[in-house]
Amino acid sequence: MAAATDINPFVNPPAGDNAFARITDNISRIAEVDKPPRAWYIAFAAALGLLSLFLVSVGYLFWEGIGIYGNMMPVAWGFPIVNFVFWIGIGHAGTLISAILFLLRQGWRTAINRFAEAMTIFAVICAGIFPGIHIGRPWLPYYMMPIPNQMEMWPQFRSPLEWDIFAVSTYATISIVFWYMGMIPDFATFRDRATTFWRRLAYGIVAMGWRGSSRQWHRYERAYLLLAALATPLVLSVHSVVSFDFATSQIPGWHTTIFPPYFVAGAIFGGFAMVVTLAVPARQFFGLKRIITIKHLELMNKVLIATGLLVGYAYGMEFFVAWYSGNEYEVFTFVNRAFGPYAWAYWTMITCNVVSPQLHWFKSVRTSPLATLLIGMVINVGMWFERFVIICTSLARDFLPSSWGYYIPTMWDFMTLAGSFGLFFTLFLLFCRYLPMVAMAEVKAFHPAAHAHAEHH
Amino acid sequence: MSHDEKTPETPGPAALHGLLAEYDTPAGILAASQKIRDAGYSRWDTFTPFPVHGIDKAMGIKMTVLPWIVLGAGLSGLATAIALQWYTNTFDYKWLISGKPFFSIPANVPIMFELTVLFAGITALVAMLVLNNLPLPSHPLDFVRRFARSTDDRFFLLIEAADPKFDEESTKALLEGTHPAAVETVKEDNVTSNKLPKVLIYGVVILTVIATVPFALAAKARHATSKQTRIHAVLDMDAQPKYKAQRRNPVYADGRSTRLPDPDTVAVGDLREDSHFYRGKMNGGWARTFPPQVRLEDATMKRGQERFGIYCQPCHGVGGEGNGMVAKRAEELQQGTWVPPTNLTQDYLRQMAVGELFNTITNGIRNMPAYGPQITTEDRWAIIMYLRALQRGHASKTAGLPPATGGTN
Amino acid sequence: MATAKKTSKGKGGGSDRKDEAPSSAEPKKSPKAKVDDAALQTLVPGVSDNIRLGGEGSALFVKAAGIAVVSLGIAAAMGASQGDDFRRFSHSYLVAFAVGLAISAGFLYWVTLQHLVNSHWSVVLRRIAEVFAANAPVLAVLSLPIVLPVLGGQALIYDWADHAKVEADHLLHHKAPYLNPTFFAIRMIFYFGFWTLLSRFFLKGSLRLDETGGAEIIPSMRRVAGPAMIVWALTLTFCAVDLLMSVDAHWFSTIFGVYFFASCVLCVHAMLTLTVLWLQGKGRLVKSVTVEHFHDVGKMLFAFTVFWAYVGFSQFMLIWYANVPEETAWFKERFAHGWADVSWALLFGHFVFPFFGMLSRHIKRNRKTLAFFAVWMLAMVYLDMYWLVMPNVLENPEFALMDVFNVLGIVSALIAAAAQRAKSINLLPTKDPRLARSLAFENI
Repeated sequence: MAAATDINPFVNPPAGDNAFARITDNISRIAEVDKPPRAWYIAFAAALGLLSLFLVSVGYLFWEGIGIYGNMMPVAWGFPIVNFVFWIGIGHAGTLISAILFLLRQGWRTAINRFAEAMTIFAVICAGIFPGIHIGRPWLPYYMMPIPNQMEMWPQFRSPLEWDIFAVSTYATISIVFWYMGMIPDFATFRDRATTFWRRLAYGIVAMGWRGSSRQWHRYERAYLLLAALATPLVLSVHSVVSFDFATSQIPGWHTTIFPPYFVAGAIFGGFAMVVTLAVPARQFFGLKRIITIKHLELMNKVLIATGLLVGYAYGMEFFVAWYSGNEYEVFTFVNRAFGPYAWAYWTMITCNVVSPQLHWFKSVRTSPLATLLIGMVINVGMWFERFVIICTSLARDFLPSSWGYYIPTMWDFMTLAGSFGLFFTLFLLFCRYLPMVAMAEVKAFHPAAHAHAEHH
Repeated sequence: MSHDEKTPETPGPAALHGLLAEYDTPAGILAASQKIRDAGYSRWDTFTPFPVHGIDKAMGIKMTVLPWIVLGAGLSGLATAIALQWYTNTFDYKWLISGKPFFSIPANVPIMFELTVLFAGITALVAMLVLNNLPLPSHPLDFVRRFARSTDDRFFLLIEAADPKFDEESTKALLEGTHPAAVETVKEDNVTSNKLPKVLIYGVVILTVIATVPFALAAKARHATSKQTRIHAVLDMDAQPKYKAQRRNPVYADGRSTRLPDPDTVAVGDLREDSHFYRGKMNGGWARTFPPQVRLEDATMKRGQERFGIYCQPCHGVGGEGNGMVAKRAEELQQGTWVPPTNLTQDYLRQMAVGELFNTITNGIRNMPAYGPQITTEDRWAIIMYLRALQRGHASKTAGLPPATGGTN
Repeated sequence: MATAKKTSKGKGGGSDRKDEAPSSAEPKKSPKAKVDDAALQTLVPGVSDNIRLGGEGSALFVKAAGIAVVSLGIAAAMGASQGDDFRRFSHSYLVAFAVGLAISAGFLYWVTLQHLVNSHWSVVLRRIAEVFAANAPVLAVLSLPIVLPVLGGQALIYDWADHAKVEADHLLHHKAPYLNPTFFAIRMIFYFGFWTLLSRFFLKGSLRLDETGGAEIIPSMRRVAGPAMIVWALTLTFCAVDLLMSVDAHWFSTIFGVYFFASCVLCVHAMLTLTVLWLQGKGRLVKSVTVEHFHDVGKMLFAFTVFWAYVGFSQFMLIWYANVPEETAWFKERFAHGWADVSWALLFGHFVFPFFGMLSRHIKRNRKTLAFFAVWMLAMVYLDMYWLVMPNVLENPEFALMDVFNVLGIVSALIAAAAQRAKSINLLPTKDPRLARSLAFENI
């Protein structure tokens, strides 16, 4: 099988005399072609640039210390934690698409679940770095794990920050397990199409010798279902535990019982926004328009409306109960968010999160790839601002007016944030180039040609 | 495992492994599977690029035991989490955190959940691989060129020669009766060695041995004493050239670092000759002017306002009138022992020298504690600057104010 | 041609149904029910079923209405005999009403959701849900024993209904713009009005579809479902806040609406199970609703048991952790004087036991076990509402016959209304374009 030179299916249609073969070719040749499309090189160069920025920023942070950031009393938790929550949130959409949509038997997920899961893993990697680097002594993160040590001390399990360690580690592990398991049959396809020894060896090792035996498929499918059933409550729990970081405190604006489902809804919202932000260029530049269709974009945009409204509901409930509670600090917090020194951040958040997704009520908007891309990016900005507003406004002005302050991030804060996008996109582009970008076996299984009923029924 | 390159090289015929039939539709392989199942074969399998809907039933595949294994793993994860949190925080090293019980079940639930899922999830993958006999590096089917399409778009059915009902002719006839696209014989693989490559075995053994070294070193270090200081990679101001309380001090005969100051000595920086600045005294009496170090400008006033708000306002009130929150609360409680904070806007305090005010802040008076240790010298003067502004503001009449602020000037 | 495993229900593909014994798959035909062959309708080629309730519906209406009137009457009498001006009766009634609310509002949510996501598998169940969802007017009438005393300024349940108490309490005074009898009544009218309009829209549209098969009906309902869901979420939240959270008007929780929502969804799936099983016992919908559908309903029952526990735990743990007295007081009441037993019972009964019980797919695919858990979850929802409301009036938990009669009365009233509505219509949407797929539905 000679490698196709051009992966654009409208120029060079996928080879194959039946639907399954065409699916295989359409997706496999992305990884087999000698040179990836030019857009990939441009994107990769930009991503590498941002990644270097990230490495420089983190390196300087380790050298100089946390003082280079804007964290200062009263806002002792600034960009690093906002970025952490932001990235973890982005990861949630991948698991939702993989696990929850699987349990809900939504066949359309098969076109996007592979790269959404990849996105999850890379987002969790980006997220996990921030707690590690913002703790002041980044060579001691093992203190957070229950490892017997010479001080005979243990982590404090009653702290939500410790729950975070377990939740995020579990989430990373299970996401990788789920992602890898999903890729085994596709690695086998790559292995069987490989033309060079090294490709055959590499894909062969990770394919574990998979040959598609139905007896193996039976156990595989059971394992897949079980992982989906496990990943569903897991994804709900992870961002709930992250929300516990804030909700277990007594600070007005943080301590409110709706935080767990509110954060989860927000995470799915932001995550889906990132998925569509990636899906639009991916389908454009990797020739996947027939697999990731406009219908897929439309369905994802509908999920954006739904989750955006859930987030809006939570905003509304917080606001109402803050008044209802009669607690003057709560009332002040919400008035302060809207009209205090951070009002610019608050209204950015409202515009991006509550107003912009409503555009998708219009069919013309939600079926337009460009509008999808733009609104997706706007929502990502809005979700970042949501975490910023929650964290910084509540800390900047809490109970005692004499303790109030204003948080000013430094350029290192911004560079680290921008750089984290570099890490994310570098990993993602490498994934696109070398790994099966779409779950071929699953797409085939949901293709109409796969549903043959035997004659005896 | 390219199907182009592997060909049996040994002389002599390789034994028959089985018969392979190829189909080009899912319907075809479903129908064929039912026939083979009904014919009573047991050592046979189908190979498909994706799980074909209905093939479990068509082949008579029984439900796997995997879910139970995963359940067991999940429960052991739950038990581990409970045991871990109980042992570490309740048994081995009890410590109080914000009054919560040592074994706080509500606080332990998140990790209980996470470990349950973690153990169950990893087990799902591992058990699936183990039950599926994976990794499976080689298989006789790898020699069949057309089999490469099993991961692409074709469906295969293999009946092994080891099956008791297998007979080359009748089995072949049965297969051909299912209308396959092709039927092929599959030979045993007598080229690939059954044994693990020696490199792999040696590698694993050597790596395992090497891997135990760090643990052995750690175990040794924990149980042995050493005269050498431990390796300390990131100094982080840990080794400071100063004398700490329990450290030996070679300067003194008794070797103690903890000692009273030597007579007639003053620590560097503690001389504080400038009485005006440090004590508010000038020429034997209270200073009536601000010391020259204190710049009487906007920044100082703002600083004074901020510091007043933090330290003075709780008792003396925002306007200095003695009606701060603490004072109000104390009155509410009416304990009888409360001495109200002074109203700083009174005339005698307007007249009081700034030096005396400085002394009061530094050393306290009556029930007011000394704030010298808490507030730097500069800040104390800034507070006094702000206090003067408060006093002036309190005493001013609208007659003296510019018209823009409502005055009648 | 039939294999040994083939059952008599529905048309299916090669699904793996080895796990039920044929005996549990056959619906129990009560000796009295005559399957009237003339009532059999062909739904899709090859599948015909009895989908009319007819006389059974009238019989059920009479029975249920009778039970409702008698039960509520006895409960009222028992309430009068308490000698506390109906305080305890009102609380007991509110608990029962909350269960009824969860059922009715839950069904409306379910119908809206199925339209919103264009669900195929659930089409066979939708008519039943539409019928129950249309109970909003009945519920409005049933709410009068709660609403009228409030309008009359009586603080039977709600302290804020009494003007004198509001003046004396700083917090109640602060909340008075919202928690006052007039605004409360207006909101109730709005909630029930909206629910009535929406449920009628869905039911009438669905019935019109039966007659005309018009292609634009389903899409029009889907378009309404989006905005309708938003308003439903808000009406449910604020109804729960008004009726249940304001019982202790000093307390507050932003997640309360979501907490009540979890109970709504549980009630829906439990009632769907029990209703269909009753219908199948009478020979209706025998072929249409298969074990595959029950499995899905069971999955949702299981999933929302977990969801309820998640929401309940969030609410509890966050308040426990921060330990702020204005919030913990509510929970302290529910851990004092014997209420702790009820709290533990709720944890084990509402979560631990049904979680492990419903984990296995075999349980969800067996009608008997699923029915057991449906009844169990309804009982647990009742216990939950009891635990929410009664500490306001009872220092120690005390279950009384009055409680039983109240809930029996309210649920019977809802069943009676549903039976009356259902007796002369099709029990499933015969011309819904997705019906064929629903009938042939197979679970994973």
